[in-house]
Amino acid sequence: MKRILSQCQKELAQFRRDRLTLALAFLLPLMSLIIFGFVIRLESKNIPLFVQDFDNSPLSRAYTERLFATNQFEPINNFSFPILNSNKNLQSQISNPQDVIDKGLAKAAVVIPPDFSSRIKSDLPSTVQILVDGTDVNNARIIKNSIQATTRFFLRNSGLQSSTDEIIARIRLWFNPGRKESLYIVPGVFAVILWIFPSLITAIAMVREKEKGTILQVYASSLSAEELLLGKALAYLLIGIIQALLIMVISLIIWQLTLVIEPTPLIIGTLIFLTDSIMFGLFIGVRVANQNSAVQAVSLLGFLTALLLSGFIYPISNIPFPLSLFSAIVPARYYINITRDAYVRGTGWPGVWLSIIMLSLLGFLLFNAARKVLKRMQLSD
Amino acid sequence: MVSDALSFDTSTGYFDYAQYKSVQRCAVIEFRLRSTAAKSRFNYRVVEVLSVVSGQLITAQCPMPNAQCTNITTMKSIKRLFNSRFWSLVIKEFHQILRSKETLVLLIIPPTIQMLLYGFALNPDVHYLKLGVVDYANTYESRELVSTLTGNQVFTVDQYLFNTEDLGEEVRRGKITAGLVIPPDFQSNLSTDQSAEVQVLVDAVDANTAGIAQGYLNQIIGQFSQGLSSNQAPPLINTQTIFLYNPGLASSWFFVPGVLGLVLTLISSLVSSVTVVREKDTGTLEQLLMTPAEAWEILLAKIVPLFVLLMGDVILALSLGRLVFKVPFRGSLVLFLGLSGLYLFVGIGIGIMLATVCRTQQQVVLTSFFINLPLIQLSGAISPIESMPIVFKYLSLLNPLRHYIAIVRGILLKGVGLEVLWLNAIALLLFAIVLLSISINNFRRQLS
Repeated sequence: MKRILSQCQKELAQFRRDRLTLALAFLLPLMSLIIFGFVIRLESKNIPLFVQDFDNSPLSRAYTERLFATNQFEPINNFSFPILNSNKNLQSQISNPQDVIDKGLAKAAVVIPPDFSSRIKSDLPSTVQILVDGTDVNNARIIKNSIQATTRFFLRNSGLQSSTDEIIARIRLWFNPGRKESLYIVPGVFAVILWIFPSLITAIAMVREKEKGTILQVYASSLSAEELLLGKALAYLLIGIIQALLIMVISLIIWQLTLVIEPTPLIIGTLIFLTDSIMFGLFIGVRVANQNSAVQAVSLLGFLTALLLSGFIYPISNIPFPLSLFSAIVPARYYINITRDAYVRGTGWPGVWLSIIMLSLLGFLLFNAARKVLKRMQLSD
Repeated sequence: MVSDALSFDTSTGYFDYAQYKSVQRCAVIEFRLRSTAAKSRFNYRVVEVLSVVSGQLITAQCPMPNAQCTNITTMKSIKRLFNSRFWSLVIKEFHQILRSKETLVLLIIPPTIQMLLYGFALNPDVHYLKLGVVDYANTYESRELVSTLTGNQVFTVDQYLFNTEDLGEEVRRGKITAGLVIPPDFQSNLSTDQSAEVQVLVDAVDANTAGIAQGYLNQIIGQFSQGLSSNQAPPLINTQTIFLYNPGLASSWFFVPGVLGLVLTLISSLVSSVTVVREKDTGTLEQLLMTPAEAWEILLAKIVPLFVLLMGDVILALSLGRLVFKVPFRGSLVLFLGLSGLYLFVGIGIGIMLATVCRTQQQVVLTSFFINLPLIQLSGAISPIESMPIVFKYLSLLNPLRHYIAIVRGILLKGVGLEVLWLNAIALLLFAIVLLSISINNFRRQLS
């Protein structure tokens, strides 16, 4: 125990000395949090919409206004290169709606036919054509649904057609009634950040001992593989805890992200997850030969899996079959379950116990793997 | 220019430059050293030495002291073809890159894995959302409603429950995504032409999926209720939607061009910075700087082979997208390759700038992490730019990757040409010029 502690102390002293790593250890998580938290928005707001109104009657104008009143659409304003095309009359200049979408000026175009109002007034159905930029699949679907819903709402609200719905669906959104995306994304970001950065610095520290040859001294000393790994793990666990606190406090300040349950599942889950992350870093550190490969391995194995196979962006159930098997061994997946529960859902222990067991299991496996590799290199007593 | 035989002091592993007084120009000399120690995997190791200004003594240490030096070859054919310093440097770089397995692996494995992983794993399609049903009415109509909901594979009934509390508990635990409650008076309300209400609970922890589920619910229930009453007039405004560029809404078509750009950025900046820094780490940069070659020559000689290999990466990534994900290619291949080449210069510029700023490999990899993260996130590769907060939207204009992705999506999916993409192309050109001139400047400053 004493040896573990002094190993940990030595590690911390070394860590403090390296200015760049020290700065990056706290700056990188913070920057990632802010960028991920602000930038990952899956559902578009303010979608540039182009309306070509061949009818130009009070009715068609009311319809257009209705579309823009949803706040989901805005008239095209040529955001792409604002300096070059600050032409206010862009809308009137364009004749071909597909051209606008080709140029990326609008994501969707609504074409109102010339007989729009006359047909509706004589109770004949009129067809409005909608062109949607299908490159962004997720938003293409959202745009389509949103225009359809607005159209139905317009019909009902303008008194043109009485309620057509015999069945009314009262939909209640639980846990996140405003569908705030930050509430979904930010707890997920915790998992991504706490998976890459603690493991990255641990792997670098481990591999540096190898590069500098100081690992030989360790081998020659009476320190055992377990003691070395645990000592290092303890040191970086402390740093990981600071990182975790840092990002949690910052997201409390920026996104008002507060716990909805008592904090024990989150605290215990975070500690185990950090340990997993560090064990992963140690494992990479003992496996690879130099710092460059260490960073490559962490970013390829760690970052990609935490980002893509954890359900961080889209639900895990969307991952196709053989890949979905991999996601079962991605610790970030279980931690995301814990953070989303703590910050959004709020079931507490009954909802997360399985995730915590899985995290402990994976941590144990990683530790064992690292220990075995290191043991093989170490001289036996 | 270089003599064919070179005596080697096998005891010290040094060779004497004095034999090469006649060498006036920089040339590449290749030594093939056969290890006498063992026929191990290091059987053939090659050391490259750049000869220097005549009269100056340079020694190159052999990696294995007791190695025997045999068969020294000069590249006669190349010499004849390109009898210049610059080409010799280029050839040296080529050899150096091709010989280091690490770089080759770096050029092939990460792009492939990233393309496949991003393309397969990111999928916004909403399919088979788990639905829990409490059907208090249990009539023909209510069962019809449930089967309509599950009809087009958006929802699938996970379980039937008997009371609302259980349903709520299942949603709370995240076992089901949506819960449908059909009240007992459903049938009677419908038959008396009153509107019947159904209650739906949606788990909105995943805000995006919840929004899509909500839209589908409204739509399907709306259609169902319209089908119930035959006397109702059809809606006065029909909407006819056409999805341009991606009619089947295949999500990989959106992600593949983004990941292509992302992969190229990561690889080009990393590989170029590593090649420069490795030279610094091993101290061979000083030797390079001692040669009569100009700074720009050394740098350009480094860039040319990298560029050729990275173009191979472009083709690799493009073919993966075409073959695995069936992403269409609607525009001009020449334009695509040209602009990709331009973009590679941006990536290489970033890499070399990093390498000249940082002192060690460790610093380079960490700083590149620092730079690549915002570069990727602000590019629109994963999440669309339109939905970003305004500050980040404008920041993204300063991101070369954003312009490249716009170009790739434009050429591949939309099939547009320079008439649409010229602004993005100019932006890339500016980035390439600025970044390369900064890195050349930094590089030159290291000379003095």
